[in-house]
Amino acid sequence: MIRQLLNGNEAAAAAARLAKIEVMAAYPITPASGVMEGLSRHIAAGELRCNFIRVESDHSALASLIGAALCGVRTFSATNSQGLAYMSELLYHASGLRLPVVMAVVNRALSAPHSRFPEHGDAMAQEASGWIQLYCENNQEVLDTLLQAFYLAEDEQVSLPAMVNYESYIQSHTREVVEVPAQEEVDAFLPRRLQAWLDVEHPRGINVVTGPELYMDYKYAQDEALQRALAVCGQVNEAFAARFGRDWGGAAEGYRLEGAELAMVTMGSMAATARMAVDQLRDEGQKVGLLKVRLFRPFPAPRILRMLVGVQTVLVIDRNIIYGSGGALAREVRSVLSHQSDTPVYSFIAGLGGREVGTGDLVKMYHDARQAQASGKKPAPYAWYGLTG
Amino acid sequence: MANNLQTTPEEELFTGGHGGCRGCGAAIATRQALKALGSRTMVVIPASCMATIGGSGLTTAWEVPFYHTLFECSAAVASGIRAALDIRGIGDIAAISWAGDAGTADIGFQSLSGAAERGEDIIHVCYDNEAYMNTGGQAGGLTPGLARTTDTPSGKPTRKKDLLAIMAAHQPAYLATASVAYPEDLMAKFQKAREIKGFRYIHILAPCYRGWKIPAARTVEFARLAVESGLWELYEMVDGQKKITCRPERRIPAGDYLRPQGRFQGFAEEEILALYHN
Repeated sequence: MIRQLLNGNEAAAAAARLAKIEVMAAYPITPASGVMEGLSRHIAAGELRCNFIRVESDHSALASLIGAALCGVRTFSATNSQGLAYMSELLYHASGLRLPVVMAVVNRALSAPHSRFPEHGDAMAQEASGWIQLYCENNQEVLDTLLQAFYLAEDEQVSLPAMVNYESYIQSHTREVVEVPAQEEVDAFLPRRLQAWLDVEHPRGINVVTGPELYMDYKYAQDEALQRALAVCGQVNEAFAARFGRDWGGAAEGYRLEGAELAMVTMGSMAATARMAVDQLRDEGQKVGLLKVRLFRPFPAPRILRMLVGVQTVLVIDRNIIYGSGGALAREVRSVLSHQSDTPVYSFIAGLGGREVGTGDLVKMYHDARQAQASGKKPAPYAWYGLTG
Repeated sequence: MANNLQTTPEEELFTGGHGGCRGCGAAIATRQALKALGSRTMVVIPASCMATIGGSGLTTAWEVPFYHTLFECSAAVASGIRAALDIRGIGDIAAISWAGDAGTADIGFQSLSGAAERGEDIIHVCYDNEAYMNTGGQAGGLTPGLARTTDTPSGKPTRKKDLLAIMAAHQPAYLATASVAYPEDLMAKFQKAREIKGFRYIHILAPCYRGWKIPAARTVEFARLAVESGLWELYEMVDGQKKITCRPERRIPAGDYLRPQGRFQGFAEEEILALYHN
């Protein structure tokens, strides 16, 4: 193990190198380009034996990885925002074909208006695509979660693609001290469980036209496999913690939730800010804790429900907006709590397109929610926080 | 080289019982090409007639592995297959992207051009029936001028895209045209292409009787008329050197090929030729 000062993209590239990816295909896009550049340097230096396909588009990046994954090799890419949107139909192919492609997604707001800044809207637009979605708080978690994602995606019980999300600039371009594990340790942690579906000795037709008599059953099997990722995610976390000494909590992590009357729920880099807000509020005697969701797909409903036992108020902060509906995370949390209708869920949309959300903002959201509750007001479906107008 | 009936491989890798129309030019092309390519072949098919002809549900006519991918990316998928086979040290399996004219020249062109520019060690095949026949016969970039299609009922106002010139400009390791009416020539080209490394492009004229509005029994005949009229030339290019591979035994006026096709009905031969790509 060595400690290095790495930004999120460098941490992602380090993870892919340690995972010994065999085929990478990627197309330049800001801010994810650093991942492919880093891996290209590893390949050029002879530190990684991997074929890099320098494709002409994000669409072809995932298309070629699907071809490679069908031949039973470990595949990896990185993209974000427009690139992810451009890949959309292929996301459904990768999951429908049960291919364990792993991708780093450097969350960036979707155009229009044009933006290069952090937001989860790009990944949320693909929430129904059948991919495992994991979200990271810091660069150590980026490296660790990517290693876990290969394990999870390739598990025979799951065999599904996974995207590991971290935010543009806040994570992709900000350096932190990251512990980079030794290759032998990663080799021992990460088994190689890949199958070559395209095989000249056993010719198969992949993705033949499927009628109503079969299609639905395939989809049922696919959803079941994704649901199985919940349990496997926990197992992966345990195996990882045992070997590397870092326990990220699996599907979700609680911070100072003991005795909390209000739980903040959020994902990604906002969780780091929320920890500070919780500390500050706890110092002031407020009974508040944080629930950080790592696994958004499949959504760990039973786990979240257990973690929220005893909590009287929930405050969800979403760095995304599902237009006409609200925050994607708040919607999930409300669904989990649907039979506990007396637990109000306050939902804030914040930090879109990189708008700053500091500790003070989260403290203010906490007080706003408390006040609303004290005044007996039912929570609005969602509220926009931090508008300038 | 499979240059006569005796030396043509007997093995059928695209078998009977496929779902194509009787007289389907694409099915004939596939059968011939696979005889030449052999069983150590992996095929990628984008959205096209071939995606459904080869099988549906739990049945398939393919005796080689195939993956039915999305419309715009067959050459990219074949690139990925090649990359995976190479990293596994498997060099003798041919990775083929087999697309229609849309999956090659229109929606599929970006990924095709990318693969060609990178010099991917794959063979891209365009089976050209000159319209979007899988979706009901709409016009596309490779539909000839004035052809009446379901979305150009008054005749397509623009000419056929000269894709062969565009592909030649990519300087592929091998480029060839072929026709289902000349199976020996077609198979010889696939056999030759298989032995060459780098990006290879083969463009097959494969008439569709529905789109061309000709009798189903005359697919091969019209494919031959195209060559005899001089409107479809059989040639190959290695390192940029063009070589005619097959000279028809007879020559016919272009009108004898164009006029009987129902899709040009109501247009004079000169009008059609004025919009012909070469």
